[in-house]
Amino acid sequence: MSARNDILNALRAALAKGEPFPKADSPSILPVTRLDPNEDLTARFVAEVERVKGIVHRATGDDDARRIIRDLLTDRCVRRVTMWDEAHLPLNGIEALLGELGIERVQGSNEAVATAEAGITSADWALASTGTLVLSSGPGRPRMASLLPPVHIAVLTEDRIVPRLEDYIAAQRAQRLGVFRGSSNVTLITGSSRTSDIEMHPVFGVHGPLELHIVLIENLG
Amino acid sequence: MDPFSRSVTIALADIQLQTALDRGTTRGVNARIGAMAETTDAAALRHQARLARERALNRLPDLLEQLERNVVANGGHVLWARDAAELNRVILELCQKHSVRRVTKGKSMVTEESELNHALEARGIEVTESDLGEYIIQLAGETPSHIVFPMLHKTKEATARLLHEKLGMPLTDRPEEMTRFVRNVMRRKYLEADMGISGVNFAIAETGTIATVENEGNNRLSTSTPPIHVAVMGVEKVIATWEDYAVLVQLLARSATGQRLSVYNNLMSGPRRPDEPDGPEVFYLVILDNGRSRILATEYAESLACIRCGACLNACPVYQNIGGHAYGWVYPGPIGSIVSPLLLGPTRAPKLPYASSLCGACQAACPVEIAIPDMLLKLRRDLVQAGDPTPGWRIGMKLWAIAFKSPTLYRLGGRLVGWLTRLLAGRKGYLRRLPPPFDGWTTSRDFPAFGAPSFRERYARRVHKT
Repeated sequence: MSARNDILNALRAALAKGEPFPKADSPSILPVTRLDPNEDLTARFVAEVERVKGIVHRATGDDDARRIIRDLLTDRCVRRVTMWDEAHLPLNGIEALLGELGIERVQGSNEAVATAEAGITSADWALASTGTLVLSSGPGRPRMASLLPPVHIAVLTEDRIVPRLEDYIAAQRAQRLGVFRGSSNVTLITGSSRTSDIEMHPVFGVHGPLELHIVLIENLG
Repeated sequence: MDPFSRSVTIALADIQLQTALDRGTTRGVNARIGAMAETTDAAALRHQARLARERALNRLPDLLEQLERNVVANGGHVLWARDAAELNRVILELCQKHSVRRVTKGKSMVTEESELNHALEARGIEVTESDLGEYIIQLAGETPSHIVFPMLHKTKEATARLLHEKLGMPLTDRPEEMTRFVRNVMRRKYLEADMGISGVNFAIAETGTIATVENEGNNRLSTSTPPIHVAVMGVEKVIATWEDYAVLVQLLARSATGQRLSVYNNLMSGPRRPDEPDGPEVFYLVILDNGRSRILATEYAESLACIRCGACLNACPVYQNIGGHAYGWVYPGPIGSIVSPLLLGPTRAPKLPYASSLCGACQAACPVEIAIPDMLLKLRRDLVQAGDPTPGWRIGMKLWAIAFKSPTLYRLGGRLVGWLTRLLAGRKGYLRRLPPPFDGWTTSRDFPAFGAPSFRERYARRVHKT
């Protein structure tokens, strides 16, 4: 008999006498993180990101956002950038900006992307209570842009901020969980890559990006 | 001396280990306590998490079939392994099929159960552990000593010496510099790997999604960069819904490291879609039983609810003193003292159920309310019933039971023992060494002589007076 059937049969036999835990029906409804209903979501998000060693840059509009990105790139002498297609960013003109600065856009193979010194993405959503970004993969939205380069710049507008992980899940439930079937990869990013492996002493910047910058564009009105 | 007592003796005398344990477990305990205290309602959340796990275990075979259907619908493949040997065989066959020569691995405890690395290396496949701690341990030729912090037994000084000797890193006592050095070494490994192998923290049945939890980014790199991704899970890792995922993943982070969420929560549903620019081209999920279906049928089923956060290790006064290696197998600490005898068979780890003072710190720390002390007691009972004790022990316990059931015998025995200990202790008031078979008590401490008059005598006098 196949391993599959053996295992499933063994599990069914184990449960034949009845469920081992009889009263386990109530669904998970209590959210984990504390959040005052009147709390300002943007302020909370910014505070949480800073706690986990990310940096939030508040932009008053698209021009301001482009200026911030330009400064981030030039301050670090970036020569090569990998990025999501502009159609998936909440502002245009980034490719033009790269051209203006003489920065090459690399894409395609992992080897090519690995030469980039910065990756520019957006995020589907941001979670205020934990300072988390939610990124889903898809056409024009490579995973590597938020993973391989030492600097990750995520650009998003304030209206993408929802209170908690539970709210994000509820929103996906309302959409019949389509994103978890359609995208091969959804990543929740909370701060800069870190480790506590050596004596549980926190060190930031391990295998993932060393720096996380979030350019948060103010919504008009 | 039995093997467990021997490793304990060695561990207690190891000053480096004691330093590392002291620094590590204290930080771990404090981080968890702080992070759980600032939730909406820690007690209610732990219960909610517990119910999420119970729900999954109640419907395990159905959920696994649902998971399989959805992984396949997402374009992935599902393979099954009855035991550790079959797991290694399955993965070796995949390596052959895809001509794999280099593998990077994200953290996975189940592949420690099967010692997969050795099996792959024996076939000439290069395996690189990519988690910082796992990588350093692999370099040292050791095994993990903690579920979450695999190199908890190592001081930063020992780590620096190892990296210096094996890879020529300039000596430093700064963890930051060691980390940066390893980052640079690992970069090439990810890009050159033919296959990435990872563990699974949760498998969400309703969409066929594999969730991993990490802080470093090595798991994302191992699962996204190579053209093939193989995820390995025990049957118990499946959960029913995304709502259950939300509570479990957050309690895992808070209990393991005191974070609100781990840095990267990676949610993978099959291989890259045809229109996606990157990600693995092929995705396999391997589901391992290795004794778990046997446990599900027993009164130890709740041990399968464990989400491997490691909180019970940090909290345990025994673990704090002996570290992970003394436990002798993959899963150390209080939960390991249950899981190891259950997975290996009781005779392979007969001392582990006794490696606890039953103080309950583990249960108080557990995010899914596992009654660890109760199960340790039940395992001790099983060992006795299976004929573990020596004849002398059995007769002794019988005599003890007789004496403790009769007030007269108890009083007489108490007087006799009190008189004897006072006689032997002399003016010091304590005994340096008890005669066999009681000498185990005095190997590490003195035995005080019984006081006189005894409690019973004083109690009788006081009752008489009033």
